[in-house]
Amino acid sequence: MRRIAAAAAALLTLGSCSNGDSKTHLYLQRFFGECGADYGNSIDVSKAEGECGIITTLVNRFNAENPDIHIDVNVVAWPGYPQLTAQVAARDPPDLVTMHEGVISDYATKGLLERVDPYLKAAGIASEGFTDAARRGVTIGNRIYALPWDTHGGLFHVNTALFAKAGLMRGGKPVLPNSTEEFIAQARQFQARTGKPYFIQSNVADPAFAARNLFTYIMAQGALVFPDPKHIRLNTPEGLRAANFLRLINVERLGTQNMDTPAAIAAFMSGEGGIYPTGTWMIGTFEQEANTPGRPLYKSYAVFPYPRLWGEHVEFVSGHSWVVPTRKRTPQQREAIARFFKFMAAHNFDWARTGHIPAFQAVLGDPRFIALPHRADIAPLASIGRPLPSYVLRQNAIEGLVGEEAAAAFTGQKPIPQALADAERRVDDLLAQAE
Amino acid sequence: MADIRRKGLGPLGLAGLAAGAVVMLVPLIWTLLLSLKKNAELIGHSEAALHGPYTLQNYAAIVSNSLTLRWLLNSTIVALGTTAGVLILASLAGYGFARLDFPFRRTLFFFVLIGLAIPSQAVILPQHQLFAWLHLHNSYPGLILPGLIAPFGVFFMTTYMRGIPRELDEAAMLDGASRWTIFSKVILPLTKPAQSTLAVFTFLGSWNDYWWPLISATRSDMYTLTVGLAAAQMNYAQTSGLGYLMAQAVFASIPIFIVYFIFQKQIVRAMAGTAVR
Repeated sequence: MRRIAAAAAALLTLGSCSNGDSKTHLYLQRFFGECGADYGNSIDVSKAEGECGIITTLVNRFNAENPDIHIDVNVVAWPGYPQLTAQVAARDPPDLVTMHEGVISDYATKGLLERVDPYLKAAGIASEGFTDAARRGVTIGNRIYALPWDTHGGLFHVNTALFAKAGLMRGGKPVLPNSTEEFIAQARQFQARTGKPYFIQSNVADPAFAARNLFTYIMAQGALVFPDPKHIRLNTPEGLRAANFLRLINVERLGTQNMDTPAAIAAFMSGEGGIYPTGTWMIGTFEQEANTPGRPLYKSYAVFPYPRLWGEHVEFVSGHSWVVPTRKRTPQQREAIARFFKFMAAHNFDWARTGHIPAFQAVLGDPRFIALPHRADIAPLASIGRPLPSYVLRQNAIEGLVGEEAAAAFTGQKPIPQALADAERRVDDLLAQAE
Repeated sequence: MADIRRKGLGPLGLAGLAAGAVVMLVPLIWTLLLSLKKNAELIGHSEAALHGPYTLQNYAAIVSNSLTLRWLLNSTIVALGTTAGVLILASLAGYGFARLDFPFRRTLFFFVLIGLAIPSQAVILPQHQLFAWLHLHNSYPGLILPGLIAPFGVFFMTTYMRGIPRELDEAAMLDGASRWTIFSKVILPLTKPAQSTLAVFTFLGSWNDYWWPLISATRSDMYTLTVGLAAAQMNYAQTSGLGYLMAQAVFASIPIFIVYFIFQKQIVRAMAGTAVR
């Protein structure tokens, strides 16, 4: 009995063991999954693949190159904000956290994130070197709250074999529409010649998809989605025009129906449609299909930013960034954070291999980046990308609410004006409570 | 089968039961087959699960994660600790409510029952603050203690003990037994069926718990299996890591299957509502 009690006591204390070395420890919390089995000891970043592989290898390499510092990594379930909030509430937040740029304002406005200007300065990183989209994403007022790490947003992923069959290729490149009228005309032509839908959509259980499309095409008409921090404006002439256009795709059956994200991805990879508007993060997967003989996408894949259908060529984007939650830190830890920033900025190209757009202009112009498949085509996203204004709180929740109502409008479950008005009401209610 | 015959289920009833069993089993078999395929084969073609070659590669990837066994150990400790704690506390409280006379007994029991109507989410914020104040997050006590608040367990044991004839207590008292002796030597052994049922439900509930471990165990070495496996998933796992995702589901279910096979008699009795006489 005593032995059992002793064993139990030993087990109970296992969780409270502390580091006993002389290194400066930083506690890094991230999503992107766990792949220690493949990359646990790897420091060769050039051989790492995918978000998880690259970030795991980068941290390993940082630890190897900085023997006086050790980064302890905590992998959280995506997106990790419930855990971060709990840690902040318990006054025990990590030192470095991956954060979507749209979420920064939720924490920064409460004083829960440190301004990173001093770290950037110590690391020799000038914010002028950020891309436009990246700078907008991490700046609130004139204050920078994160090291931007990438820009990600929607892209038109194109099946070029089907486009060729539809007569929509010129000079080896797909012809993308320049107006909504052209879009519908192309879609009809595509459908008539291939017998397949032009537009692959995931309007089921994918609010981000619908919200991304609506935001992008309202912004493209020069309209303000958020005229002030407490109100959203969707039920406007611009909002109605964008929603009516996206509804028409469904009325004329020019797009796939009743698909969620996995179904839409599968449909695109199986050659069941012409364009799939999904994010930068799918480039690697689709490129792999395009390089695999026998697959429907073999040698038949291209990708571009959303085409300009209205006056302005802008696109709703977000980005990943590194934030530093507010807490007491030693000077050594602060120096270690600056060194980590310097290291990560220097390796932004490696991260760009995931398909995300780099956060640094220098990487955008780097021949290594341009030489990566499709990157020259999608690089404009760094300049046309527009995040939601940083004064808007609860952007994640807003995307969910807007996406839900927008999908109902696009698929005909609700009359468009009612869906947009409902979205406005729900978002305004949410923002009225947001502090 | 004998029971079925007694209840007069003919071939039609049996066919209906078989059809129901198939409906229940197909998703499980589908999950198992997907878990035995390489992720790359399943991207865009999940029907590939219907034919070979099959591989244990996804399971190897789970086990080769250095933290998986740690998460398994954490879940085991937390589930067993919670189960033991609930059994002890619910038995003691149940005996008190069923057998002892003390001031405000009915009121107190009413308050315990109110606990059944309060969802755990409603108290999560003050609970989290309290545990932070006590420095109990990222510890086994921090994961176990909230699970010990078990109004259902108290209600269940009280009801069960009320059904045990008081004459047994009186006979023991005449033999000079103390309250503790009566509880531990007379009443407790008679509650074994109820204890087994409560243990199974508590263990399963604790094993599958996700929300509290997610916000209390924020360091990966203290994750339980549910939280750890969720954290290990990459974005869009349902597309590019479907085999691994399904292997995770199967892996996390294995201990539950073991518990079921050991305690299936009690679980069936509990489901049928026959554990309480």
